[in-house]
Amino acid sequence: MTATPSKLLLVEDNEINRDMLVRRLSRAGYTVVAAGDGAQALDKMRTEQPALVLLDMNLPVKDGWTTCQEARADEALTNIPIIALTAHAMDSDREHALSIGCTDYATKPIDFPDLLKKIERLLTP
Amino acid sequence: MKWRRSSLSLRTRLYLFSGGILTLFAVNVATHVWGSFARSESLIAYRDAVNAAQLITDLEQSLEDNRQQVLVLATLRETTEDPLGVDEREVALAELNTIEQRLRRLGALGGEGTEDYYRRLHDSASKLLLDWRSFYSDYNNRSVVLNMESATTYNDAFQRLQELDQRQAFLAVQRSNTIDRTISITDRITVFGFVTTIAVTMLLVIALIRSTNASLLRLKTGVQRFGSGDLTHRIDAGRDAGEMGDLARTFNDMSAKLQSAIEDVRDAKANADAANAAKSMFLANVSHELRTPLNAIIGYSEMLQDEIGDPGELDRDQFHHDLGTIIFSGRQLLSLINDILDLSKIETGKMLVTAEWFQPAALVFQVCDSLSPLLSQNSNQLELDIDSNMPELHSDPGKVQQIVTNLFSNACKFTQNGTIKVSAHWRDDELRISVADTGIGMTDEQQSRVFDAFIQAESTTSTEYGGTGLGLAIVKQFCEMLGGHITLDSAPGEGSTFTVALPAVQGSDRAIV
Repeated sequence: MTATPSKLLLVEDNEINRDMLVRRLSRAGYTVVAAGDGAQALDKMRTEQPALVLLDMNLPVKDGWTTCQEARADEALTNIPIIALTAHAMDSDREHALSIGCTDYATKPIDFPDLLKKIERLLTP
Repeated sequence: MKWRRSSLSLRTRLYLFSGGILTLFAVNVATHVWGSFARSESLIAYRDAVNAAQLITDLEQSLEDNRQQVLVLATLRETTEDPLGVDEREVALAELNTIEQRLRRLGALGGEGTEDYYRRLHDSASKLLLDWRSFYSDYNNRSVVLNMESATTYNDAFQRLQELDQRQAFLAVQRSNTIDRTISITDRITVFGFVTTIAVTMLLVIALIRSTNASLLRLKTGVQRFGSGDLTHRIDAGRDAGEMGDLARTFNDMSAKLQSAIEDVRDAKANADAANAAKSMFLANVSHELRTPLNAIIGYSEMLQDEIGDPGELDRDQFHHDLGTIIFSGRQLLSLINDILDLSKIETGKMLVTAEWFQPAALVFQVCDSLSPLLSQNSNQLELDIDSNMPELHSDPGKVQQIVTNLFSNACKFTQNGTIKVSAHWRDDELRISVADTGIGMTDEQQSRVFDAFIQAESTTSTEYGGTGLGLAIVKQFCEMLGGHITLDSAPGEGSTFTVALPAVQGSDRAIV
């Protein structure tokens, strides 16, 4: 089973923000699967085989940092690009996210056109 | 037994040192004086013996001369008729007196063990002299047959004289030996005393130098160790008495003061650093909290802008709902900003208390009523136990309202399918408002931090339950500003009960914070 090129996994616990991003990404032509916490996210990464993951860092049950590290440690998931989404806006947060294995980083409030560019760049072979 | 010389003061050490040297010097002088005395004693005795020998020789000569003279005169008297001239007789008697005087002098010189010899000589010589005096006295009296002294008397006297001479010679030799011995002994004692003095003086000097040096070294080491940053180092002041001990104690006092001053500065710096770190953390948290609702506001607005440009019929219900979300997020952002401003005002002391008389029961009812929509969100039920006959309260109604609001919305937030119980009673001249829920509850560790700003029981709690993490911090500050306090009773899984106690008259028995 290969990943559907346009299938994205959005991991976000805040319902309002999750609905908003699902709708906007769907509008942009992507198939979007959503998860509300880190444990769900890892499950859906295995079952749904998304082409890319948008991962909020402040998550219940299992936070984004741990989720990212576990995904990177799992052979089946290690190559899925992950874009970290966080309201932590410091440079050190960005460096930390990249150091634990996130492929890219976007700060809330999300600059949506910029996020789309990042997704496209990562999905273009 | 250890001689704790270093426990003496420097002055005492110097006095003892000088005293020791002077004592040794005195001992040397005394030895020398005693030696001189012993020598002169022996010399006097020796001189007496020599004088006695000389007198004996003179006496021998005189006795012999006189005997010759007596023998000659006796022969003359028998052969001639010439009388003995007065002058001649006087001379002869004077000679006898001289002999007698010499005998007495000899007696006076009598050394040890010569008394018997002298008495025997004196007896014989007295008899001889008596004979000779009679001879000279009766010489011209022809009627008297001169009792010529017999040879026996003279020989006897001479014999005694020689015996005494021998005795004196023996004594002289003995005394000469004594002198030799005395000189030898006093010389040895003097040399021994001198050498001992030098040795003891050197030992004393070394002891003084070492003990003083040890004290100074301890001081120096202590100062160096303290100077090199070992602030807890103290000099063992008990090991020195007097000036050195005083100096060590003074240094220790100074060290203690310096140490506490340095530690105060370090503490102040640590506190300032901690306060600074807390401010940075607060700022980072504020930034984070503001971005979350802004994300929704901007995201939904942009999305609606996009959708409005789409061809076809607009889903008005969806549009209306989305606008509601934007408004909700905006309000959330506003309440967050208000909370932050409130906390900032409290921290800088600019939050004012406006006290007035009001009916607390009515206020609590009103808050519960206006927040009742929150109950349905998590399917909770409200239970009220409010004493409507409570007296009026003199306090800040705005703050009381915010306290109850924050506690009520927290209870709703952390409880699912449960009961929120709000009670208000008058007890011990205090208004007691308690908000109890049957929600998730808190561990002791979580309870200890729950009133700190930006703290929710768990870092993940805020994402699960939302909220700014400022509500309880503000509640606690407001309670204290109104002269009251807040208590928390909770256990994990068994819900939480927050109880606020406010005085009847704000500031009446408690200082306004």
